[in-house]
Amino acid sequence: MNQIVTVGTSHHIAPLDFREQLSFSENQLTEAFQLFREHPDVQETAILSTCNRVEIYAVTHSKDGCAALSDFLSNYHQIEPGQLEKFTYSHQNLDAVRHLFNVTASLDSMVVGEPQILGQVKEAYAQSLVAGATGDILNRLFTKALSVGKRVRTETNIAAGAVSISYAAVELAKKIFQSLEDKTVAIIGAGEMSELTAQHLVKNSVSKVIVANRTYQRAVDIAKKFSGIPLEYDADLSFLVEADIVISSTDAPHYLIDRHSLAEIMRQRKHRYMFLIDIAVPRDIDPEVSKVDNAFLYNIDDLEMVVASNLKDRGQEAEIAAQIVKEEVVKFQSQLQAFEVNPTIKALHQQFQGVVSKELEVCVDKAQLTPKQQKAVEAMTQAIIKKLLHQPTTNLRQVALNSDLIEVVNNIDGEHVQYVRALQEMFGLEKAANTRDTED
Amino acid sequence: MNSRFFYTLLLVYLAASILHILFLATGNRRIAKFAYWLTIGGFVLHSVFIVLRWRYAGHLMAHWYDSTSFLAWAIILIYLCIVYRTRLRTIGVFVVPAAFIAALVAYTLQTQEDTAIPVYLQNYWLIAHSSVIFFAYAAFVAAFGFGLMYLIEEKKIREKQHTLIFSLLPALGRSDELCHKCIFVGVILMTLGMLIGVLWTQYVKEVKWTWLDSKVIFTIATWLIYVLQLGIRQTLGWRGRKTAYSAIIGLAAVLFTYVGVNLFLPSIHAF
Repeated sequence: MNQIVTVGTSHHIAPLDFREQLSFSENQLTEAFQLFREHPDVQETAILSTCNRVEIYAVTHSKDGCAALSDFLSNYHQIEPGQLEKFTYSHQNLDAVRHLFNVTASLDSMVVGEPQILGQVKEAYAQSLVAGATGDILNRLFTKALSVGKRVRTETNIAAGAVSISYAAVELAKKIFQSLEDKTVAIIGAGEMSELTAQHLVKNSVSKVIVANRTYQRAVDIAKKFSGIPLEYDADLSFLVEADIVISSTDAPHYLIDRHSLAEIMRQRKHRYMFLIDIAVPRDIDPEVSKVDNAFLYNIDDLEMVVASNLKDRGQEAEIAAQIVKEEVVKFQSQLQAFEVNPTIKALHQQFQGVVSKELEVCVDKAQLTPKQQKAVEAMTQAIIKKLLHQPTTNLRQVALNSDLIEVVNNIDGEHVQYVRALQEMFGLEKAANTRDTED
Repeated sequence: MNSRFFYTLLLVYLAASILHILFLATGNRRIAKFAYWLTIGGFVLHSVFIVLRWRYAGHLMAHWYDSTSFLAWAIILIYLCIVYRTRLRTIGVFVVPAAFIAALVAYTLQTQEDTAIPVYLQNYWLIAHSSVIFFAYAAFVAAFGFGLMYLIEEKKIREKQHTLIFSLLPALGRSDELCHKCIFVGVILMTLGMLIGVLWTQYVKEVKWTWLDSKVIFTIATWLIYVLQLGIRQTLGWRGRKTAYSAIIGLAAVLFTYVGVNLFLPSIHAF
């Protein structure tokens, strides 16, 4: 009996050290694929191993495919079955399909809408494909899952809006400046958040980083990370004249930048836009500064509010995405069903075609037809084949659509499978229609 | 036939305007695409109309009605150029309704055939002088659109409201830059149009040049607003909100010069 099954773990149910134990390195993947190839029950496999999740997808013969995968995992990684059961989940057939679609749609991710997972699944599928571990069913499943992931991202705003403070800052900078390419960032003070933000800005092609600190050596240390320019902090703030983005996070008990001094700096820089990010608590920048033309000030609370509202928006978009996944599961089901009957339909057509062309040859020879007559007869025979086979083809597809996936995958009980068998026997199609099995 | 044709055109522009605004309200990119193509459809229709009207009335700009219709057409043309160059369809939200309003005004004016310009003035000088000035006006309308986009986006950023509109509008720097470019193009065209007007009076006996014509005075005042803005931006670096405000004040001056002067003051200019 064929089944699509998946067994895996993710950040939802397992701690990091367990996920580490279960993960597959590059070499282990090759090894695992080899072992699965020799596995008597497993027909096809694909393994997804990222820092947040480890999942094996498989098509199995055995009655309990999930158990086969669990056994494999516990043997391979030497994890005791009790613990494995506690920290893993397993899905079968339609549930497994739905699960993978949810994964590629990023609905199962730690941050809904995060962009990486689609690439990770693509990579995992490519590796499994190259290793020859996947077959017809998993190839279809993964191709579909990737397209579902893409569809969710284009049709919903699930990936819109920054969901971390540093990204929110970068997104805002992009809404102020036309481009970040020739811009200069000044970091005042030090701190994890300001460095992270600066890192994202540099990744978005900000060209110059200035690091100002009261201790010159500290400035040098931080500047090294961005190949930036270290400066000893100077209260006259003249270094801000060339700064387009200012990130301030000092532990100064008072404001470093007030409205008056910033207005003067803005005049000197000919009122080019300045984006000030105040991450410090207590604040470094006087809120009055935001009244200066072309200067835009955000503090830590503002950025956190932006993130919170974006997360809320993503939640709403996730509902639309879930609807898409639901639709696609149904579509995939019917695809799989059509896939089961298509070889038979094709074989039937081929057989008819064979008989007709043989007879046609004889007829053309005997009756000495002119090319024009020959063409007319050919057209007629084609029309006859088409009309004769139309009804059985439609019926077979209809029966396949009406049966559910479990039947399709189980390959024995489905009504359409009985039809297929009957057709195969009556028309002697067996050989042609079973090519898929022999390939396996 | 004219009237019904123009009525259809009006409906197309109205639909395009509504769709553009709907795009800003929903963020649905398909609507934006549809609105864009509808506007192109309107533009083609309008071009055909202008040609037919030219052949029928014997001149491109013989009436106030034709000139306003031409202004609407020029606004759409500039909009299409901007979208072609920048891919920024959001500007349509502000500019296409402006074209619709111009077309609507033209529609209500169409019965007043008596506003026609004297036949002896209906020559290529008139076409060159008016059409260049109208293209300048259209550029100022686009500048106004970008100015509004800037002000709305700036308000959203300052008030920290990261709504749908915030995400749909372009970066401040971009709106500002495009607003500036439109003003720049507008000023060049306006200068050119004014020069053609002056030359016209020099080469044609029927028109007497005078500094004291109200249209001339207000045109120069309008021109000065824009030129001053460009100058201050160049020297002191005023940008952003100040550019946006001058685009708005400038357009108000343009409107008064174009419409107000003719309503309230005597002028040798029919429009």
